[in-house]
Amino acid sequence: MNEKPISGVAAGAAVYLAGVRKYYGDVHAVDGVDLIIAPGEVVALLGPNGAGKSTTVDVMLGLTRPDAGDVRVFGKTPHDAVAAGTIGAMLQEGALLDDATVGEMVAMVASLHRKPMPVEDALRRAGVEELAGRRGSKLSGGQKQRVRFAIALVSDPDLLILDEPTAAMDVGSRREFWGSMRGFADAGRTVLFATHYLEEAEEFADRVVLMRSGTVVADGSVAEVRALASGRTLRAVVPGVAEQALHGLPGVTELIVRGDQIALSSKDSDATLRALLSRHPQARDIEITAIGLEGAFLTLTADELEGAAR
Amino acid sequence: MSATYLALEMRRVLRTPAFAVFTIGFPVVLLFLYSGIFTNDAENKQVALAIIMTSMCAFGGVTASLVTGTRAAEERHAGWQRQLRLTPLSGGGYLVAKVIVGMVVALGPILLVALLGGLVQGVSLDAAGWLRVTLGVWLGMLPIALIGLFIGQTATADSVQAVTQAVMLLLTLIGGIFIPVDSMPGWLINVSKVLPTYWISQIARGAVTTDLSEGLGTAILVLAAWTVVAGALVVRRYRRDSARV
Repeated sequence: MNEKPISGVAAGAAVYLAGVRKYYGDVHAVDGVDLIIAPGEVVALLGPNGAGKSTTVDVMLGLTRPDAGDVRVFGKTPHDAVAAGTIGAMLQEGALLDDATVGEMVAMVASLHRKPMPVEDALRRAGVEELAGRRGSKLSGGQKQRVRFAIALVSDPDLLILDEPTAAMDVGSRREFWGSMRGFADAGRTVLFATHYLEEAEEFADRVVLMRSGTVVADGSVAEVRALASGRTLRAVVPGVAEQALHGLPGVTELIVRGDQIALSSKDSDATLRALLSRHPQARDIEITAIGLEGAFLTLTADELEGAAR
Repeated sequence: MSATYLALEMRRVLRTPAFAVFTIGFPVVLLFLYSGIFTNDAENKQVALAIIMTSMCAFGGVTASLVTGTRAAEERHAGWQRQLRLTPLSGGGYLVAKVIVGMVVALGPILLVALLGGLVQGVSLDAAGWLRVTLGVWLGMLPIALIGLFIGQTATADSVQAVTQAVMLLLTLIGGIFIPVDSMPGWLINVSKVLPTYWISQIARGAVTTDLSEGLGTAILVLAAWTVVAGALVVRRYRRDSARV
């Protein structure tokens, strides 16, 4: 990671990833991710297992050093952001002690931060006040998740990163969890969560980022992504295309442009495709699928399996 | 690192049943047991009693400081170390905290055994002697706490107990704590001299008798060398560990 002076977008963004790559031998865990998250956004990170979500999260947290690319969290390196208590994170597995009580663990982490919120506040927000005296070994899966949430909250971070936060929670605690997460986000804090539950992404995120094979394959507001659910989705690579030019295509209801890659939702994909090819003959790698968010997710998973079989 | 953090770390160690049994119970029980068995036909009962007491001080201290460090293995396994890397606590701070806790808990059995030795067993030493047996032995635990931490950084949660037991046996049996140097053949004494525990028991032995005892200066030098080597290993291992994730 280079330490060149930063300005503009990189300095103002809650999360700024530019050209981030992380290879483990032949495995391209993260293969050129650009992602900018504005302060106050609530972003869902979706993708099948092995898509690179956890590695991307680890890079943001400074737990993994990327092989290439620039990473900033509120303009700082992940290490400095962590040291300043800017990032709170809820890790996927473990991360609790069997021989310490819930109150002790949260107090331990709080004592390491410079400006923590009171331990009681963190426990209350995470809904684990009544568990304060219980040891880590005596917690259910869902309770453990909420304790991890309290640990993530206690530094009073500006950015909260949650990796599969509701795994092992029942429906009731899941609703409670999102309630307290929302309360936290409404105070202007930035939240990024990785999840397998598409309905959680649709319900709680302002924005959805889909990853596959280490790259971001779709990135848009929930409304944009929901629109993909009706009609068909047309994907293509159209070098040098302007977003403006695509609005004029027949049948298009939503569109997402990322560089040369376009994803269109269309009520009439046949008409859209004919018009696209006549106006932009350079279009290539065209794919038409009848999918919504879930369908997109499944397609991505299927691609992943094909990729593994090849 | 903060006082709260250290206090909570300490509390976690003290509440484990194994801590009370092994590091407080064993040295005390063995102190009385050995004092009853081995001192009756000794030429100088006073010296024999004192040597048993100093050995048990060292034993209690070694167990406490070694075992405390090895607990890091479970924290690594549970992902707690990873969680702590998301706090301002530095890697160095984490390791130093572990060593401090190991050293503080080692003070308990050392002082308790010395107290019982003096009050109940009637061991009498001069002030400098008592200082060597308590403070001297305690400071000698520094490399042991680091060795424990190295085990904790290296072993898995499953293997850590077995590794700890093996190291403990090596250190206490061959190191001259359980088999007194008086009864060791010459070649074994030479092996023993490699281990830090030999030099720890030498610090204490020197307070009791000049027979088979080494100079304090040499003991300090050897233990300092052990501290440097074990400390370097711990730091290297921690760096590798965190780079790998």
